[in-house]
Amino acid sequence: MARYGMVIDETKCVGCYACRVACQNLNHLRENEAYNFLEEREYGKFPNFHRVFLPVQCQHCDNPPCVSVCPTGASYKRKDGIVLVNEKDCIGCKYCIAACPYNVRIIKKEGYIEKCRFCLEFVEQGGQPACVTTCMTGVRMFGDLDDPNSEISRYVAQNVHLLKTYKEEFDTRPRIFYKKV
Amino acid sequence: MEKPGKTKMKPIKISRRTFLKGSGLAAGALSMGVFDFTSWSRTSMEGPVTRIPTICNGCGNRCAIFAYVKNKRIWRIEGNPEANGNQGVICPKGHGYVHDLYNPNRIRSPLKRVGTKFQAISWEQAYKEISQKINLILMDNGPESIFWVNYPMPNHGYALRLMHSLTSPHYFTHGSTCFTARNAAWNFTVGKLPANDLVNSKYIMIMGRNPAGGIDLGQVKDIVKAKEKGAKVIVVDPRHSETAILADEWLPIKPGTDLAFLLAMINVMVEEKLYEKEFIENHTVGFPQLEDEIINYPPVWAEKICEIPAKTIVRIAREMAMQKPRALIHRGYHGAFGAQYLNSFQTARALAIANSLLGNINREGGIYFSESANLGELQPTHPAPAGPSSSKADGTGIPGRYPLGSYGDGITHAIPELALRGILKCGFVYHHNPLRTNPNPKRVIAGYKKLDLMVVIDPVLSETASIAHYVLPASFYLEADDAVDTKHSGKQAQVTIQQKAIEPVFDTRSAFQIITDLGKHLGVGRYFNFTLDEANALRLKPFGVSLESLKAKGVLPVGPQWKEGFVKADTPSGKVEIASAVLNELGYPAVPRWEAPLVSPDDKDPHSFRLIHGKQAYHTHAMTANQPYLMAISRRYDMIRLWINRARAEKLGLKDGDVVQMKSMIGEGKIRVKLTEGLHPSCVWLPSGYGNFSKYLTTAYDQGLSYNDFLPTLFDPAVGHAMASEVIVQVKKA
Ligand code: SF4
Ligand code: SF4
Ligand code: SF4
Repeated sequence: MARYGMVIDETKCVGCYACRVACQNLNHLRENEAYNFLEEREYGKFPNFHRVFLPVQCQHCDNPPCVSVCPTGASYKRKDGIVLVNEKDCIGCKYCIAACPYNVRIIKKEGYIEKCRFCLEFVEQGGQPACVTTCMTGVRMFGDLDDPNSEISRYVAQNVHLLKTYKEEFDTRPRIFYKKV
Repeated sequence: MEKPGKTKMKPIKISRRTFLKGSGLAAGALSMGVFDFTSWSRTSMEGPVTRIPTICNGCGNRCAIFAYVKNKRIWRIEGNPEANGNQGVICPKGHGYVHDLYNPNRIRSPLKRVGTKFQAISWEQAYKEISQKINLILMDNGPESIFWVNYPMPNHGYALRLMHSLTSPHYFTHGSTCFTARNAAWNFTVGKLPANDLVNSKYIMIMGRNPAGGIDLGQVKDIVKAKEKGAKVIVVDPRHSETAILADEWLPIKPGTDLAFLLAMINVMVEEKLYEKEFIENHTVGFPQLEDEIINYPPVWAEKICEIPAKTIVRIAREMAMQKPRALIHRGYHGAFGAQYLNSFQTARALAIANSLLGNINREGGIYFSESANLGELQPTHPAPAGPSSSKADGTGIPGRYPLGSYGDGITHAIPELALRGILKCGFVYHHNPLRTNPNPKRVIAGYKKLDLMVVIDPVLSETASIAHYVLPASFYLEADDAVDTKHSGKQAQVTIQQKAIEPVFDTRSAFQIITDLGKHLGVGRYFNFTLDEANALRLKPFGVSLESLKAKGVLPVGPQWKEGFVKADTPSGKVEIASAVLNELGYPAVPRWEAPLVSPDDKDPHSFRLIHGKQAYHTHAMTANQPYLMAISRRYDMIRLWINRARAEKLGLKDGDVVQMKSMIGEGKIRVKLTEGLHPSCVWLPSGYGNFSKYLTTAYDQGLSYNDFLPTLFDPAVGHAMASEVIVQVKKA
């Protein structure tokens, strides 16, 4: 069985937000509902200056705090690594929003909680997530981390020393790996 | 702020009843069925999906896309991987702008102004009244009193044909506010506007161009690929642009002084004999004149002007020379020298010459002449009109007026002046919003209002449409078939086509149809006796590809592959003109020389700044600020702010997010600031997509400011461009 994961190369993001809108369209989101976000940081003083856009979305953690705090079991982790919300069981209590260290869960207009779904239905049909395919600089890579021959597995094997997970102090064990600046 | 035009322009009211009645739509249409997002979304997670190859209209790149339709509603788009221009990817504007198909601000039928109101009328009535009025105006004032202005679309040839059928020379594009200095300089140097072979380059210098913000998807992909192969990227820009994020080095140049940097680079290349000797000897004219002039511009001189250290200029010149001919300076667009400063033409000339010294003209990894798709003619099947016998009233191409101006583009921001002088009496504005994209809106409004007849073709009531006599609702690009296009030509020429993905939501027509309908009603129907399919087939004929195959694929390669090697330039000498005899004859310097910007901020005044501008990746001109998906980005991330250098802001007692009052000789306004270390201290930077003042644009209305609110009406004395960054503002805490 596939175990999905993602690599995000934060040296390449130019902050265009194409991934945001591509995701909104694929997943039928309204203009103020988004599954991915950017955190902008500035370093240095004029003229020695640099800035970075860090793309953040659900990290599909292997130790997901949102799942452990969910009173109804609406938030759950699948065998293929994807963390999902079952909207029918979600009572909108927002415990998961408080528990998630990444600020990536949103309240849908309908009242339930949602977040990045790794484009599940699309991926199951052999597609790639919209945020991956639309990006002009190729920030994201997505695939099966259990398949040693997948592009992402080979990339991770070669670049393991450059990769980090985000907010390690929370011990969430994300399935998204960042290539740092 | 006092919004431009607010005092002069009474808001025009559409009486909702007539509006809806006239358009034959029930009042609730937008909240029902396929138009309603919530109900569509619920029923449509599953459902049959169709895929239509077409082109995007979110900006002028016209990327090739696949539009996906689910349950009769546009669902999403994807990039067509075959297209040179976008190479399979799509920007935020492309994804967001599809939603404008369902924007409640769309015009639902032709409109006629009656007093201060718009009345919905039929297409027949609109055409009849417009053509009657035009015929009378032309009878009294001659054929050259009519104009057409547009941001060019694939159908622009038909608009030009319409003007030529009426024997008017007055077809205009937006060019003089955008790129005409750059184009003129490349024309005078190598004979045409070339392209950049970024992907094969080993050293890429980009001055004032920001393909990651003023999006060019293919260029960004190529820069990333070149970097993966080890290329070095240098960005020269007063602002830490989005492209600077990808660069190895950011050189924050003082705005308006790129020419000094380039002259000094050339100085180093000449003094140290770093140039490509074989190329200079065989393929250029005027190198000795350059040698004589360039001794005046050592790097130590340039450092004082452009504030880039002399040793950096020397190093970069040497590094580039080591990689020649696989080193290039990006050909540029609007920023730095498109239509920015009094010295923009000289800057672009120096840039073209610096590239030539690297011997990179038409070389792999350098500046190259892209293959072009020369579309077939409609004649002899459909004879072409004779065209105008008079020259353009804006003086483009005329010695003593704007001899370096582009006749083809005209001087778009001269239209209001020509209207005020009674030379232009009536006109069409299509896919263009001069009230918002031209400098000095009060003057622009006065000019356009002076016209006896103004017809605007647009899907919404833009600022310009809201003062028109008639508004013809153009179909949205996803609802209309249109003319074949050649925009994606690169190492091989390509043709693309716009096809409808969905039936028109309202009583709208394609721009191609509107143009041909107008021709018929204006008595020149004999030049428009063809269907779109027939015309498209004739246009494709030289390539031996069928219209059907283009429709099936969306993009087709045509013609030969580009071959490396410089043969001949389209210049009078047939060579690269380092010195231009023609420029000399016209009274301009034969080789570039230093020229200061027209205006400069006062160093001693802590409130004095140059106002510069640029694009954000999620907005196009004044067109997308009304799109809720795109405006949601601006708001969520607080992007509608004026950038100001932190140290300078602190001297004014400003904190991040404070409101400032900004004032120039023609306008003033209030806006919040973003304090940053990523901007040259001498300027403030305003994102260019905001400041809409049409009340009919409910999302865009009164959000932020436009640089045009501050920019006086200026005409560069040689090219006639707008000199869009020659404006000094006073910034104070509000
Ligand atoms: S599409 Fe790519 S470059 Fe643009 S914001 Fe997303 S990750 Fe960054
Ligand atoms: S993986 Fe899919 S759902 Fe998640 S952020 Fe990307 S596009 Fe959105
Ligand atoms: S760059 Fe973006 S908006 Fe422009 S045509 Fe391409 S996808 Fe559309």
